[in-house]
Amino acid sequence: MSAPATAVPGAGAAAPGTGISISRVGYEYRPPRGRPVLALENISLDIKDREFVALLGPSGCGKSTLLYLIGGFMPLQQGSISVNGRIVTAPGPDRGIVFQSFALFPWKTVIQNILYGLEKRGLPREECRRRAQHYIDLVHLRGFEDSYPSQLSGGMKQRVAIARTLATEPGTLLMDEPFGALDSQTRTIMQDELLSIWRRSPMTVIFVTHDVREAVLLADRVAVMTARPGRIKALVDTRFSGAADSAEVVRSREYADAVDHLWTLVREEAVAAGAGGRP
Amino acid sequence: MAQSIEAVTELSRPADRGERLRRFVDTFGPFITVGAILLAWELMARQQIVTPFLLPAMTTVAARIGDDLISGRLLLDVALTLYRAFAGFAIAAVVGVALGLLIARFVTVRWFFDPIVSFALPMPKIALMPIFMLWFGLFDMSKILMVAFSLSFQIVISTWSAAHSVEKELVWSARSLGASDRATLWEVVLPAALPQILTGLQVALPLALIVALVTEMIMGGGGLGDTMLQSARYVDSPGVFAGIVEIGIVGYGCIAAMGLIRKRLLAWHQESSNGGTM
Ligand SMILES: Nc1ncnc2c1ncn2[C@@H]1O[C@H](COP(=O)(O)OP(=O)(O)OP(=O)(O)O)[C@@H](O)[C@H]1O
Ligand SMILES: [Mg+2]
Repeated sequence: MSAPATAVPGAGAAAPGTGISISRVGYEYRPPRGRPVLALENISLDIKDREFVALLGPSGCGKSTLLYLIGGFMPLQQGSISVNGRIVTAPGPDRGIVFQSFALFPWKTVIQNILYGLEKRGLPREECRRRAQHYIDLVHLRGFEDSYPSQLSGGMKQRVAIARTLATEPGTLLMDEPFGALDSQTRTIMQDELLSIWRRSPMTVIFVTHDVREAVLLADRVAVMTARPGRIKALVDTRFSGAADSAEVVRSREYADAVDHLWTLVREEAVAAGAGGRP
Repeated sequence: MAQSIEAVTELSRPADRGERLRRFVDTFGPFITVGAILLAWELMARQQIVTPFLLPAMTTVAARIGDDLISGRLLLDVALTLYRAFAGFAIAAVVGVALGLLIARFVTVRWFFDPIVSFALPMPKIALMPIFMLWFGLFDMSKILMVAFSLSFQIVISTWSAAHSVEKELVWSARSLGASDRATLWEVVLPAALPQILTGLQVALPLALIVALVTEMIMGGGGLGDTMLQSARYVDSPGVFAGIVEIGIVGYGCIAAMGLIRKRLLAWHQESSNGGTM
């Protein structure tokens, strides 16, 4: 909590042993039946410690796949990934992830879902409860502590998933379209919450989204991926994320230009993917 | 204002009546069916359409069940049969679920057990009864093990497929929240697969009763199966029919109990919260 309230600048080389280093990563899905699918090809990306990177790209280009590889959920086939100097071989609590499909434990209530990771950390009971409650308040779910996921709306489930991951305060935060199921007001509120958490805590964030404006608003840098097989098409410095007031950023000229520029890049790929433009 | 409320109640009345009728049928429908069958049975016997030897009157059989109940024989038989069925079922459930989970989770375990399970699954396990009699004697042990053996393989398979279809993101979530491989298996895969595992156990339960009954018929040693076969040997037709009714009731009770347990265990599950609209 004593961390400075300003964002780390996005320029300059990463100190060795910090941040995320992705080097020449390729990945091919080989389903037991059917043809293999080349999802990623030769992805290289260096992300500095405490940097906020957004990942943009057409549907099916391999964004989730890349997050899964950084998370260590699937064995690497090509290239290497290291996080804070350690080669990724397996999942670990240093890398928190918010899944596109939420992946809540349906047999646990909201608060039990959030407590699970905290208890695995071996924190004292009282501290677990306090932190869980704090993050439930943060995602505006007070009053739903004892609800089961099946009793929640899609947007509420998504917020539980976000709270569950944030509560363990991971050094690296992987988010797969975390605000996709939210209405635009809640979305704006959550964007601001995420930014303020990120500014306060030493956290590297990779944030997958389809929303160009969201990417520009939140990220230091935006990586645009090509249609499948996914490669890094462009890396664009945006860095509005350090600004204090997001409402002001959204009205600025630079913001509009950045959105325009990225929008063009993404649309080319969406067309290439044959999916048509996606807003 | 008052008028509109009246209009609403007026409108809701026919729907109410339909709803009440539906609820009446839901509660009493089964009793009506059973009552009709019992009545038809009684009439058929009374009219001597078939001889009392082939089909004793329902009331005769009911009186017999009453006698057995008072003499305590019925309770003893039911207790014996249920003990054998449930002991075997419990062994099969523990072994089957554990093995099924391990097979789904660890490739080495799968390599070892897959051929065994694939071979044993379609085999009529009851064919091994003579061997069980030789190895374990004619008492409870061989009957319980026969039940356990008959059920285990299908419980392994149903658990395996249940665990296999658990959403991979759930498992990954647990791992990235800091759960070990072992914790993930028992704390995430097991509960996530529980609805399907319970379905598998519910399918296996009647088989436990069947096998217990058959072993009793063949090996003796008391229990509903033994008593029924004795009655048949003494050409005691009411005794045989009493046995059939008794085992029917016991089976129904077991399934109902299992249903309640399922509801209890799956309170979190959607199927419990929307009250079974199927
Ligand atoms: N389990 C799988 N088996 C086979 N192919 C897969 C599997 N998962 C993903 N793919 C393929 O890999 C490609 C990349 O998938 P991925 O989920 O990473 O895309 P994405 O960029 O996250 O898409 P979206 O934006 O729609 O979430 C897709 O084209 C998909 O067809
Ligand atoms: Mg995805």
